Amino acid sequence: MKAMIIDDEPPARRELRRLLAEFPWVEIVAEVGNIEQAAVLVDTLAPELLLLDIQMPGGSGFDLLDRLDQVPQVIFITAHDEHAVRAFKVNALDYLLKPIDPARLAEAMARVKNAEASRAVRPGAVLEQIFVRDGSRCWFVPLREVRLLSSEGNYIRLSWGKLAPLLGRALVALEQRLDPNRFFRANRHQIINVDFIESVELGVNGRLHASLRDGPEVEISRRQARLFKSRMSV
Amino acid sequence: MAAGTEIRMSGAENSIAPRGSQLAYWALQLGGWGFFTLTRFLAGVAALQLPWLSLGLELLLSSIIGLGLSHGLRQYAKRHHWSTLTLGALSRRVILASFIVGVPLGILTQFTDLTAFHDPGPLLQEYAPGLTRMALPASICLEILNWALLYVIWFTLYFSVLGVRARRSAQLRQSEMARALHLAELKLLKSQLNPHFLFNALNTVRSLIAENPSRAQVAVTQLANTLRYTLKSRQDELVTLAEELTIVAGYLEIESMRFEDRLRTEIHIADAALAVRIPEMLVQTLVENAIKHGIAELPLGGLLRVRAFKEDDMLILEVENPRPQATTPAATTGVGLSNARDRLQLLFGGRASLDLDLSKPALATARLRIPLKP
Repeated sequence: MKAMIIDDEPPARRELRRLLAEFPWVEIVAEVGNIEQAAVLVDTLAPELLLLDIQMPGGSGFDLLDRLDQVPQVIFITAHDEHAVRAFKVNALDYLLKPIDPARLAEAMARVKNAEASRAVRPGAVLEQIFVRDGSRCWFVPLREVRLLSSEGNYIRLSWGKLAPLLGRALVALEQRLDPNRFFRANRHQIINVDFIESVELGVNGRLHASLRDGPEVEISRRQARLFKSRMSV
Repeated sequence: MAAGTEIRMSGAENSIAPRGSQLAYWALQLGGWGFFTLTRFLAGVAALQLPWLSLGLELLLSSIIGLGLSHGLRQYAKRHHWSTLTLGALSRRVILASFIVGVPLGILTQFTDLTAFHDPGPLLQEYAPGLTRMALPASICLEILNWALLYVIWFTLYFSVLGVRARRSAQLRQSEMARALHLAELKLLKSQLNPHFLFNALNTVRSLIAENPSRAQVAVTQLANTLRYTLKSRQDELVTLAEELTIVAGYLEIESMRFEDRLRTEIHIADAALAVRIPEMLVQTLVENAIKHGIAELPLGGLLRVRAFKEDDMLILEVENPRPQATTPAATTGVGLSNARDRLQLLFGGRASLDLDLSKPALATARLRIPLKP
């Protein structure tokens, strides 16, 4: 598994590298000291795991995740910002405190190994998971769990379980990276996850109304309705 | 951050009586007057064999009037803040007020009093023959005295309860004050310990143990010195610049192990400045700030400069660091600087100053001016 160490303090990076020697299945493809460089290297080297320090020059670890299209698995590392990391406990892989306790690192690495989504991230591949920061809260959102993406100006509102976080991207830009077998453009403002469609009803003027599980009813425009029917009947 | 910490109180204010104390007041009023009426009624019926219905009505009426007047007196005493008076002044007012209400009450009850018209019965005649044959003026005087005494007792009870309450709330306020003070001290200590630095330093030491054990030993010693100095330091203590710089140098050594080539330092201290007395931890705080908001925020780090020299009757000390352009350092360093300024104000009045100079685009310079004679 390809891993990348991102920490601005050289001794901390070396220490982590030494600690990771215990896990021969992990290959450290790069060590980086700032997020500018990290953003570039994540794109070119496509690591599957980031060991990411939070406090860094030129932007925090969260800022880095914000800039990535597709986020690999992440283990946060921090000296003293537990409160910042706790926001992630919902579905982040793990977080470690400095100085790193080897036993805790072993636990975290076991979690990495077990994590279901441990697939290599290839550039240009469809998005599996996105990082969303809305206000003071952050999530790693698996896209297959998102039932609806609605455009709100330059933002996208995700309907994800009981939550509706706002993503700072345009819907058009994201659309190209979505899995076409799962996501369907219903109208100018909305993209639906077809896995969540419960029923479809005919509407006026050739439009369709799709009811989503746990979600609202979405109108499929006339033009898209034709496409929808041809796709669904196949 | 002690000086900037607000000490907030949450205890009950004295001027506005909480609901609970109103309730207690009425319970005591009704209970007290009720008990007083009941004992008089029982004594009248059992001992003097007075007719119970008319006695009951008479006592009820006089007790209601008595209670109403006592409430009026209490309102008057509250409005005129009797509870703040000295014991002597309070006693004089209490006795006077008791007689003022005692006189009309005494006269009134003299004529409604059944004992005056009723056959006193054998018991009373036997034990208090004087009472039944008393002349009217003497009887009125006795009645007035009775009422006045009753009100003196009422006031005594009222002010005793108030006193106990006031003392309890004062104790509560004091303990809350002490708690707020302790919290402020704890907060200050935590910020001085600089946990972010501490844990990162420990992480560096862990790394050095594998790479360079003798350097790790040096790091541990320096870390211990820094911690000891921080723990023993006090807000109002002065130390010589030389003493403070020993600690600063140790601290910078640890930080340069952390940041390696990202941190370069230059320290120029004029010999004449070394003996000047400065507030403990002040230069240390400025240097910590320079690292936290300058070096640590820059991917390539930079040069940290400390300069000190004498000018006229002042010591000038400057801590200069490169700063990231995107951020506004004034906002982030504000808290640490304002605490340092508060300390300077306390120790030197207006004669010392601390400024953050941001006039150069990529540099931040903290400039400290301290009078040579404290």
